[in-house]
Amino acid sequence: MTTSAPTLAIPGQLLGHASKYQPGPGTHIHESNLYASLLGTIHVTQPAKAPGPVKRLTKITPAPAPAELPTISVTVPTRSAGAEHQQKKREVLPEVGNVVLCRVIRITPRQAVVAILVCGDTVLDAEWQGLIRVQDVRATEKDRVKIYESFRPGDIVRAEVISLGDQANYYLSTARNELGVILATSEAGNAMHPVNWKEYRDPETGLLELRKVAKPY
Amino acid sequence: MATERPLVLPGDVIPPSLIPTSANPNKKQQPLRLGPGLRHIPPSDIVPTVAGQLITVPHKNSMWVEYNSSRYTPTPSDLVIATISRSGPDFYYASLSPYTANATLPHLSFEGATKKTRPQLPPGSLVYARVTLANKHMDPEIECVSSATGKADGLGPLKDGMVFDISLGFARRLLMARSKEEGKVEVLELLGEEGLAFETAVGRNGKVWVSGASDAKGNEGVNAKTVVVVGRALQETDTKRLGVEQQRKLVKKLVREMR
Repeated sequence: MTTSAPTLAIPGQLLGHASKYQPGPGTHIHESNLYASLLGTIHVTQPAKAPGPVKRLTKITPAPAPAELPTISVTVPTRSAGAEHQQKKREVLPEVGNVVLCRVIRITPRQAVVAILVCGDTVLDAEWQGLIRVQDVRATEKDRVKIYESFRPGDIVRAEVISLGDQANYYLSTARNELGVILATSEAGNAMHPVNWKEYRDPETGLLELRKVAKPY
Repeated sequence: MATERPLVLPGDVIPPSLIPTSANPNKKQQPLRLGPGLRHIPPSDIVPTVAGQLITVPHKNSMWVEYNSSRYTPTPSDLVIATISRSGPDFYYASLSPYTANATLPHLSFEGATKKTRPQLPPGSLVYARVTLANKHMDPEIECVSSATGKADGLGPLKDGMVFDISLGFARRLLMARSKEEGKVEVLELLGEEGLAFETAVGRNGKVWVSGASDAKGNEGVNAKTVVVVGRALQETDTKRLGVEQQRKLVKKLVREMR
């Protein structure tokens, strides 16, 4: 338990009580105690002091709100990064509701298997596998969707995470106008331009190919 | 049919005189249709990708390369003979050609099939089916009922009989509308004239199913011989590339051996 200059924490080390600190990255709570999850240095960040109401003697003041507790975090020092980078580097994982960019790996009649590349604005270190099921491709006429007319292997798709899924896959959905294929390559090998919500056109051959097209911003 | 059928090799330049164009100014200009073996490189190149005979049909404004091979690539609306390999929750998995991915055949894709009454097909049974979905990214899908009309039109399980392997070109000739004149295949008619009773189904994936006639009375031995004779005749016509006269001789020889 230390709030002085950064010291070393090993996984499982007791850091403090949950009523005194807010857990940050690299820590977890077990039975109201904060423990370190990583091997790294401990940092405590003091919260910004929000201007509160004028203290009244007769008012029962509640326990400090969570925003007023200092946040304790454990960060792993990287070899090349400086001290400032150590504070900012954190592991980004797709969460439910995040809009992600992914590349289609494989299609089957019932689902499209994708590799999640970008979560929000962050390019992920590791590619996570996701599934877009045939009933999550569109919002309307879900039973008449054909995967071959919505995605092809190699397409870049903007999708939304709808579930963290099981051990192997996240579950994604493209059932909104602004979700769908944003970059497609034609059978001839050229990058295509979108024509409408379901067609892409190859500028060189002039042929149309069917995709579930994302509405450009 | 076109009088000139030049041999082309992959990458050959096709002289523009061979490319058919709609000569009739009154009729609407039909777009040129390219069949298997040809590839269009925009803006105006047509390049063969296989070695074979270039065939052009001017009145239909289409051209393709005729070549023979043994490896079948599924194409939509082809009629094929599939072998059921296993049964899944909603689909049968059927093999169209060896060492390739299985095609899926929905359980309800038979005439008059509902969840309660559907054909039970054990592994190894044969079906005559039509390819519905085939592309390079996904496993092919087949159906045993015409999805538009709901009728089988000859599709469905094939009972008894035996299946023989033939080349794809021979299968195409057998499936031609006028196989005697254009395909030069008369074997089946000749065998029928000799008094053999049998029925056949030809799959574009290089398979032909032969069975003794359904209403034949008599012992099993006769039927088996008929099936074997028909199958042998077809295979020999295919592998030895027999002409019509040679087919006649072959049929006479086989029937004599059988009797």
